[in-house]
Amino acid sequence: MTEHADTVELVHRLLAASLTAWHVDGRVEREADRITLVAGGQTLLVARGAPPFRWMVTLAGRERGVTSIAGLLRLVRRAIDPDHQASRLRIAPSRLAPP
Amino acid sequence: MIPVCVLTGFLGSGKTTLLARLLKSPAFARTAVIINEFGEVGLDHDLIETSDESFVTLQTGCLCCTIRGDLVLTLSDILRRRDEGTVTPFDRVVIETSGLADPAPILHAVMSDDALAERLTLAGVVTTVDALHGGETLERQPESIKQVAVADRLVLTKTDLVAEQPAAVLERLAALNPSAPVLPALFGDIDPGRLFDACIWEASGKLAGVEHAPHRHHGAHDRGHDARIACFALIRDEPIPAVALTLFLEVLAEHCGADLLRVKGIVAIAESPERPAVIHGVQHVFHAPGFLDRWPSEDRRSRLVFIARDLPREFAQALLDAIEAEVRETTRST
Repeated sequence: MTEHADTVELVHRLLAASLTAWHVDGRVEREADRITLVAGGQTLLVARGAPPFRWMVTLAGRERGVTSIAGLLRLVRRAIDPDHQASRLRIAPSRLAPP
Repeated sequence: MIPVCVLTGFLGSGKTTLLARLLKSPAFARTAVIINEFGEVGLDHDLIETSDESFVTLQTGCLCCTIRGDLVLTLSDILRRRDEGTVTPFDRVVIETSGLADPAPILHAVMSDDALAERLTLAGVVTTVDALHGGETLERQPESIKQVAVADRLVLTKTDLVAEQPAAVLERLAALNPSAPVLPALFGDIDPGRLFDACIWEASGKLAGVEHAPHRHHGAHDRGHDARIACFALIRDEPIPAVALTLFLEVLAEHCGADLLRVKGIVAIAESPERPAVIHGVQHVFHAPGFLDRWPSEDRRSRLVFIARDLPREFAQALLDAIEAEVRETTRST
């Protein structure tokens, strides 16, 4: 298995686990280097992209590029779970002096 | 820095009794107390003997939902009065939540206010659980599950009312939060040193519960409310690039922030293999990672412990796998 194929398999698994985590009914299938996700009334095709885009996502006939796993998940979730309210990681301020 | 300890537990679980006993201990002599009472008439503050005015009752509502801003103001106010010398100097703050409170927003308020963070630091969460009724409460009251899930220490109260060890309650507690020690207390009698020694603001303190990370998925799938809450660990043999850890936490927070009840971890960072990072978070709010001087044992694996609601282990695992692969691929190509 090539490195790209490895990465595609990891993303395939991640997208399948994401549907479960997000409580969205659907299915994720992989064929060679292309992943098809059907959920929330949408069909998304995910494939490796060329720099600067690591992934290309085809949704409603339109192709969009994303540069990271984080961007890919964000795009997928917006498409299939539009009511989701995202949280933002917040790092508590560091203490200035030792306790 | 002044440690802030949060004392929580469901209605009638013995928080006030425990607090009253603690405040009689010399070790807690210099303690400011904030009590959040829910209801028209507050009684808890009358049940606690205090010697000075370092004692505030917040009675306008439940701390977690309506008066979080009041908590920040109250903490700021008692710090100001401490500086002015109008209250007896205190070395510790204890916040007793209402029995119905979700503790997470309270922890956020303490952890994430910039001004407070310069002087106060979250020292730990202690949750009381009634040995007699605790099982039923956990079955019926979702708030009690969150109170247990975020705890650094669990105090089993009213043990005098049960003939033998409440095995079912202990089993539930172990399933919900296997990393928190369970300490029995009779009429609130307990060694104070064991309660608030979690020291989660110190890197070594954050290790509590991580060194013995659960090796299997703890869940209670045949339960009622807590069937949705599970504890699991991700364990990595190889160091994790710092940026991968950051991205992992960001994506987790973005997609599952509200459901991350507690995250603790000791992580081998690729850029700092000799000094492991310790992380600690409640929902989407994390302390800045601390770094230990050295590994505390021979076990140099990264261990991330999650107590979460509706978060499948497979998602966290697959996310970390994919992000690590992405970071390594990017690093190689640059």
